[in-house]
Amino acid sequence: MNAKVTSREKVDLLIVGSGAAASVFAAKAAQAGKQVLMLEAGPARGLQDLVSSQLWARRLKWGGAPVEEEGNLTLGHNFNSGWGTGGSSMHHYGVWPRLHPGDFRLRTDHGKGLDWPLQYRELRPYYDRIQEEVGLSGDAAAEKWRPPGSEYPLPALPVFPQGQAIAAGFKALGKHTAPIPLAINSRPYKNRRACIYDGWCDAGCPIGALANAQALYLPQARAAGGRILHRATVTRVLANKKGNKVIGVEYRDAEDRQQVQLADVVVLAAFAVQNPRLLLASANPAHPQGLANSSGLVGRYMMTHPATSIYGLFKQETQPHLGPTGGQLISQDGYDNKAAIKNAFGSYQWLIANALKPNDLLGIVNTRPDIFGRALEAFMQRASRSIGTMVFVGEDLPLAQNRITLSQHKDQYGVPLARAVHNIQAPTAALCEHAVAEGTAVFKAAGAEQVWQGPRFGMHIMGGTVMGTSADNSVTNRYGQCHDIDNLFIAGPGLFPSSGAVNPTFTLHALGLLAVEFMLREWGSIA
Amino acid sequence: MTTTRRSFIKSSGLALSYTLGAQTLLLSPAAARAKKLPLRRLDAAHAASLETLAEALVPGAREAGISHYIDSQLQREPEDSLLMIRYLGVADHHTFYVDGLKSIERQAKSRYRKSLAALKSQQTDELIGALAAGEVENWSGPPAGLFYFVVRADAADVVYGTPAGFERLDIPYMPHIAPSRPW
Repeated sequence: MNAKVTSREKVDLLIVGSGAAASVFAAKAAQAGKQVLMLEAGPARGLQDLVSSQLWARRLKWGGAPVEEEGNLTLGHNFNSGWGTGGSSMHHYGVWPRLHPGDFRLRTDHGKGLDWPLQYRELRPYYDRIQEEVGLSGDAAAEKWRPPGSEYPLPALPVFPQGQAIAAGFKALGKHTAPIPLAINSRPYKNRRACIYDGWCDAGCPIGALANAQALYLPQARAAGGRILHRATVTRVLANKKGNKVIGVEYRDAEDRQQVQLADVVVLAAFAVQNPRLLLASANPAHPQGLANSSGLVGRYMMTHPATSIYGLFKQETQPHLGPTGGQLISQDGYDNKAAIKNAFGSYQWLIANALKPNDLLGIVNTRPDIFGRALEAFMQRASRSIGTMVFVGEDLPLAQNRITLSQHKDQYGVPLARAVHNIQAPTAALCEHAVAEGTAVFKAAGAEQVWQGPRFGMHIMGGTVMGTSADNSVTNRYGQCHDIDNLFIAGPGLFPSSGAVNPTFTLHALGLLAVEFMLREWGSIA
Repeated sequence: MTTTRRSFIKSSGLALSYTLGAQTLLLSPAAARAKKLPLRRLDAAHAASLETLAEALVPGAREAGISHYIDSQLQREPEDSLLMIRYLGVADHHTFYVDGLKSIERQAKSRYRKSLAALKSQQTDELIGALAAGEVENWSGPPAGLFYFVVRADAADVVYGTPAGFERLDIPYMPHIAPSRPW
């Protein structure tokens, strides 16, 4: 271990991470005149580095300390997490539906899981403001399930033959589809270009059409004086002796030197697994079971959306390489009745007609992992013309036993690795099975000649530092401010007390805006 | 023939750095194989096994340079790797491949008393089918089904995952930024 420690000049606001949540905090705080520094563990990367290739895109995925995973539905940390400037926002697909009002009242309405410490109506203004800043494309009228909210600033993206083919199946069964609300420009918006529908979202959008952190809030933060220090791996959050304030962090810099960065306020925005890992690894005499963990809930209630893809081969050409990777259409029929299916529980949605490339984990070749040799070549030739797909996204119940703990193994800096345990229970599994049967029926009704399904996998990561009303039920308040330490905030989907069944990025932006405005308003009493 | 950067990009789109003596070459895995550039992390036996298995999984993988592709990635830090295995929580990529390749050779000898390369195509298919299903006895490498999945995906990467591979399937590549250089 390098014994030399250098203490760096104190900043107003120190943010661990540079992804979606971090970028909202950084932009708004820097614009308010705060001195902002982000510490990013991964490398510096710009839009010019986002090469259109499923191979090169892998460098956008997690490249830090390993996470030990187990359970009947693992979190898929390495696939779901990001690495480098912009974090996982750089490979996210821009699918931005809102949570529904019922998602905020899980325990009240159903006696299961947790409630949020705020209601949809309280978050709605922040959804609307983020939507206007980012420029969502969609068709609010077509989303008959959509919670109250402002009209989308941009019209929906076009629907290509794959989407049209599958939509026919929904229609034949009396089900409804609508264009997916996407954080992708259908027209130029606020100096950002429009999408050209080439299906490379997964490799990172270098033209700024998709609202990743580098397209929007990081440039705003930098323009206002915010800085990012790359290759800066935070190893410990430092607190004062009394334990009621944090004073900064320890980190390893690019030259492997141990540094201390002091700050008035610290925001942990290192995603849902690394945030609790860091808190648990920062235990001190005043916080013996981990920093900000008087509740004992740091690391608990980890969630991931159970997901399964349905595939089919159609008679007609579907042009599956075209359009957004996240899909063209959405269906949330029945979303608000979480107890509608016997023996099952939860909401779900379909994301329909995802753009497919030939290779990679979600590529055409791995839709049929059982085929090899000459049969594979024949399949690839056919499927690249006429495959269709849609993915079921289900609600995951927040369970205390699904959690992050510290492993006995350590990383190169001596910090224990995260150990993640995640299992789904029978009602969630039943929800998945119902959806697979429904999806199969849709594809058959659409006229698909062959229909099959992929494996169940975990999409998105949430929980681990949940928000609530007190330290009896949560780690933070509604603003992500830790109950135990006023000047320590958490940001990102780790705050979610329930998962709903929608992609989390819109919600974490809205929560970030709510939180940073509170932080700036109350700065005098917090810092 | 000298492979220029421009001609390479046109033909492959998977440019990797290879060191030959004091010289660093920017080549596709296929070009590196054609030049018989030495491997650094896989020995000749491992490479032979890998090429045989990958070719049986995805025709064209041998010529596309599967061994040079994987060998080059195993020389890198995991965070710089382009291999799909980085998603899958495997800590030691080199051990994963070497143990898997040793194990499949042992399977071939145990079942047919031949090396993998000497098997008839029907025997190779039988063995791969057992590997995919995890129905292999005395297997001591990484989980058999996972090893099958990973090598198959690697082979698909070099055969289908480049502009040349898209062209093979008649899919327009339509890059924002063409994969013309290593990051």
